[in-house]
Amino acid sequence: MLVPYYWLKEIVPVEKDIEEVAEALTLTGLEVEGIESAFPWLDDARVIRIGKIKWIDREKYISLCTLETGKEEVQVVCGAPNVKEGMLSAFCPPGTVMPDGKEVKEATLYGATSSGMLASQMELLLEGESSGIFDISASFKDAKIGQSISELTGISDMVLEIGVTPNRPDCLSILGVARETSAIFSVPIVFKGPNAEGFKKETDFPIEIRDPELCGRYVGAIVKGVKVGPSPGWLQRRLVASGVRPINNIVDITNYVLLELGQPLHAFDLNTLKGPKIVVRTASEGEKVVTLDGKERSLHEGMLLICDEKRPVAVAGVMGGLETEVTEKTTDILIESALFTPFSIRRTAKALKLPTEASYRFERGVDPEGQKLAAIRACELVLELSGGNFLGIKDENPVPYRPSKVSFSPKRVNTLLGTDISSKRMSEILKALQFEMIEVSEDKAITIPPSFRQDVKNEEDILEEVARCYGFSKIPTSSPSATLIVERPFSQKAFFDEIKNILLGQGLTEIISYSFMSPRELSHLGLREGDERLKPVRLKNPLAEDQSIMRTNLIAPMLSTISRNQRRRNLDLSLFEIGAVFISRGEGVLPEETTRCAIAITGSRFPLSWAWPNEKVDFFDLKGIIQNLFRMLNCRSLLFEVSERPETYFEEGTQLDIKLNGKTVGNLGLISKRVLNAFDIEDKVFLSDIDMENVFDTLDRSIEFKPLDKFPSIERDLAVILDDSIRAQECLDFIEKNAPDLLTNFFIFDVYRGKQVPKGKKSMAFRFIYRAKDHTLSEEEVQRVHEPLSRAILDEFKGELRS
Amino acid sequence: MQDRLGDIEKEALKGIEDSKTKEELEGLRVKYLGRKGILTGVLKGLGNLPKEERPKVGRLANEIKARIERALKERLSGLSEQKGPRVIKGFDPTLPGRSLRLGHLHPITKVMNDVCKIFEGLGFSVAQGPEIELDFYNFEALNIPPDHPARDMQDTFYVDEKVLLRTHTSPIQVRTMEKMAPPIRIIAPGKVYRCDSDVTHTPMFHQVEGLMVDKDVSFSHLKAILTYFAQEIFEKDTKVRFRPSFFPFTEPSAEIDIQCVICKGEGCRVCSQTGWLEVLGAGLVHPQVFRHVNIDPQKYSGFAFGLGIERIAMLKYGINDIRLFYDNDFRFLSQF
Repeated sequence: MLVPYYWLKEIVPVEKDIEEVAEALTLTGLEVEGIESAFPWLDDARVIRIGKIKWIDREKYISLCTLETGKEEVQVVCGAPNVKEGMLSAFCPPGTVMPDGKEVKEATLYGATSSGMLASQMELLLEGESSGIFDISASFKDAKIGQSISELTGISDMVLEIGVTPNRPDCLSILGVARETSAIFSVPIVFKGPNAEGFKKETDFPIEIRDPELCGRYVGAIVKGVKVGPSPGWLQRRLVASGVRPINNIVDITNYVLLELGQPLHAFDLNTLKGPKIVVRTASEGEKVVTLDGKERSLHEGMLLICDEKRPVAVAGVMGGLETEVTEKTTDILIESALFTPFSIRRTAKALKLPTEASYRFERGVDPEGQKLAAIRACELVLELSGGNFLGIKDENPVPYRPSKVSFSPKRVNTLLGTDISSKRMSEILKALQFEMIEVSEDKAITIPPSFRQDVKNEEDILEEVARCYGFSKIPTSSPSATLIVERPFSQKAFFDEIKNILLGQGLTEIISYSFMSPRELSHLGLREGDERLKPVRLKNPLAEDQSIMRTNLIAPMLSTISRNQRRRNLDLSLFEIGAVFISRGEGVLPEETTRCAIAITGSRFPLSWAWPNEKVDFFDLKGIIQNLFRMLNCRSLLFEVSERPETYFEEGTQLDIKLNGKTVGNLGLISKRVLNAFDIEDKVFLSDIDMENVFDTLDRSIEFKPLDKFPSIERDLAVILDDSIRAQECLDFIEKNAPDLLTNFFIFDVYRGKQVPKGKKSMAFRFIYRAKDHTLSEEEVQRVHEPLSRAILDEFKGELRS
Repeated sequence: MQDRLGDIEKEALKGIEDSKTKEELEGLRVKYLGRKGILTGVLKGLGNLPKEERPKVGRLANEIKARIERALKERLSGLSEQKGPRVIKGFDPTLPGRSLRLGHLHPITKVMNDVCKIFEGLGFSVAQGPEIELDFYNFEALNIPPDHPARDMQDTFYVDEKVLLRTHTSPIQVRTMEKMAPPIRIIAPGKVYRCDSDVTHTPMFHQVEGLMVDKDVSFSHLKAILTYFAQEIFEKDTKVRFRPSFFPFTEPSAEIDIQCVICKGEGCRVCSQTGWLEVLGAGLVHPQVFRHVNIDPQKYSGFAFGLGIERIAMLKYGINDIRLFYDNDFRFLSQF
């Protein structure tokens, strides 16, 4: 809502700086988002003297004028007949935004450079002669070259830009903002409205409301013999300052009253209405009307229409029709001032994608008592500005307004605010807001809100009025004393935070990618038909095609992130993301939403430095990260297993499944060349994808202390030459199964292929650690168990001892 | 006069003895013996003394001058003779350390954790809810019926008639109150979505919602908790301002501004010259919301608040483009 300050002060003569008023409004709930000049074009336009005139085309009055601006000389092309050398006129330099919203630009006209323009009074929305450029010398004796036109004419104002919240439609007018200002500063409102005495005459113009639940009131006023033409400068200026484009005096008056009182009006050319008659009814499907903007609108069943005897002439509360609009030929008018039901107007404006100043106010709710006043105010202005005779008014009001009482407890208000405001003070606050007080005591009070405050219905609404006018800053600040709460809501956040910190400790960096993804990205993974990740949730109104579905996995977003980084030469990446993925379960129900974790590594293993070898990451870096992750979570049942049904996006034979308690919770592997190509990634990427909710549910966390060993251990190594196809896990499992009691630990400490080892074979070296709980082992004791174990290993895997 | 000369000498010799560097020593020389030095001053002022004292004082001053000069010289050679640190062949401790690659938490996670920690310290517990929500939880149960103009305050991504991407974390309030009876104190962080995208808006962003429900919870309590929060997350002396606003699910509703952290309230581009930055929305829980979850509004009251994490992160770290958060450029991430 744009509020020209002088207009506001005309209604509430508050003698304060605009900044002070702005701050006070902001602190009582009307947020002033900015203070701008009302007529910026008058600030930019300057008084100049026309120097030399060179005629380009004398017959068409095209001239090239040299202007003395007080600083430098400027040349402009001018098309006005009244240019004279030595004349003072108004010059709009390039950059000036004119009232019609167009910006003055330097241009080449008739082969000459024109650096700005000379303007007429009309173009500047100033009163006076308009047959040529502004002849300043004629009307202003003491004009100074270089002076701004606003300074010259004394016409300047500021505009308050107010963000009106949806609950306060009463403040979508100058009067509404004035009422607030009046209450804040205790300055009475001087706007008395039109002299209703002169507009009492009724007419029998037929108005038929067929849907009183959608249109509770329809006021029609008739003025005959009007002269349509441009509005006077002051009115046009106020409209432009309020963000409304002037059209002609009749339309401008309807807009002026809308801005002033908040009641949208429409003027019909009475002689184009068939009947003449007004029928308010709902549309039937497919009915058509051409609106003022020249577009044919196809209507849906239930949309409220204003019709004459034969056809629709306006979309109620949204926009008038073209066929019945006021034009220069119009002499007789019908002014409509109606009350429409908010939801109906909102649906219509939304469906037609046609939000207007009128629909904006109707859908939020206008004053149900304001229709007649607005119609009369418009008639008054019409008679004043365009002449004509007032013929009469018709007030069709099938659903009359009934004020409702609101009761509240001042005591409860104080409890909820934490204040100690007397009921008398509350009553004063409400009275200043034009509430009527019926009863006031500390325990109970009854009030009738004014008709324009349809938002006040209950005690909590009164509470808000009291709080905001009393002043939020005056409400004391006090710490609550609260009950300790033992029962907590379920949350996995702490668990995910723990995992993030473990990964962080291993040098991984967290990413957060959009939950949206593109169908193309999803297809890059080449998932098998029937994979549930191919059932994404689709948005009805995505911002763009590449954000049209919700992610079903974290793999594609991770690969896109790596690709984007590699393009920017960030080549060494160790990243993870923990976030939700979504699988559709059909229309009208929530999708399956689960949290997953993706970990990916690519590039060098170590930062480039004198201190580290220059090596690339490999599969085992990633496997180690996963092992450490679960170790830090004190998980004792982690197993890796070669996948039986590998994912399509991993290179064949590189995938392991991650198992907890026998349940698969995720996997890891090397992203396949095909997928890397699809994502345009150059380097190898090792990636792991884990279902975090599954981990959360399955994880067995326990720490069990083992007493420290009292007796020394004895180590034995065994290097075996094996067939290359034998996997380490098979050997480890075998040893585990055949482990003698004294064996407390064993691991693989070397794997070697190459010289001294035949082709197709590898050497694998194991270390065995033997220890007894109750005595120091002897070499013989160890030998007794180690030898059979070694033999068993060699036998089982047809291995040879490596010497 | 003699006493004064004695003091000067004592002070000078002490200074010389305590000096650690050649520069310090040179400073002392200038202080006492320089052209404008203390002792030089005494010698120059000899003329003002009674005639009979001049020779005596003059001699004493010259002796002191000589002693100071000697002390300076000795100390200087002492300083010069000091040996540098030992050098071990093949060991250069000035090489950079062998540091492993570091991981970084996303700045949003960092700020989110900071925010949650402050409230957890006040006895709030973390609650969560789904990111894809039912219209009922996102709007209706929060007193935003269909066709309500307040729906325009949030541009919503729809999946179908009933399902949407949550536009705020407020549905978690409703889901929690459905499950738990008062007293309730929760903090609910999460992703939210609105169809809006420019330098200051991304279609996905993060909010933290808070809710406290108990007997006799008041606006005054809300002021205390949120003032404390603002001063914890920003600076202790941050000025906080509460002003009336509108949210359908709270009444009265407030927006909370902090004094601009960039210009300290002077007015700058970041705060659009107002000196204030809006960081929180809050209010007393609307009785209608309580009725939806079968909590008796006559018996209980509560306050709720919400804040945008991106905005706080941008202010705290001086980030000027919100889109950087979801671009995940490693050069950005590695700064946190």
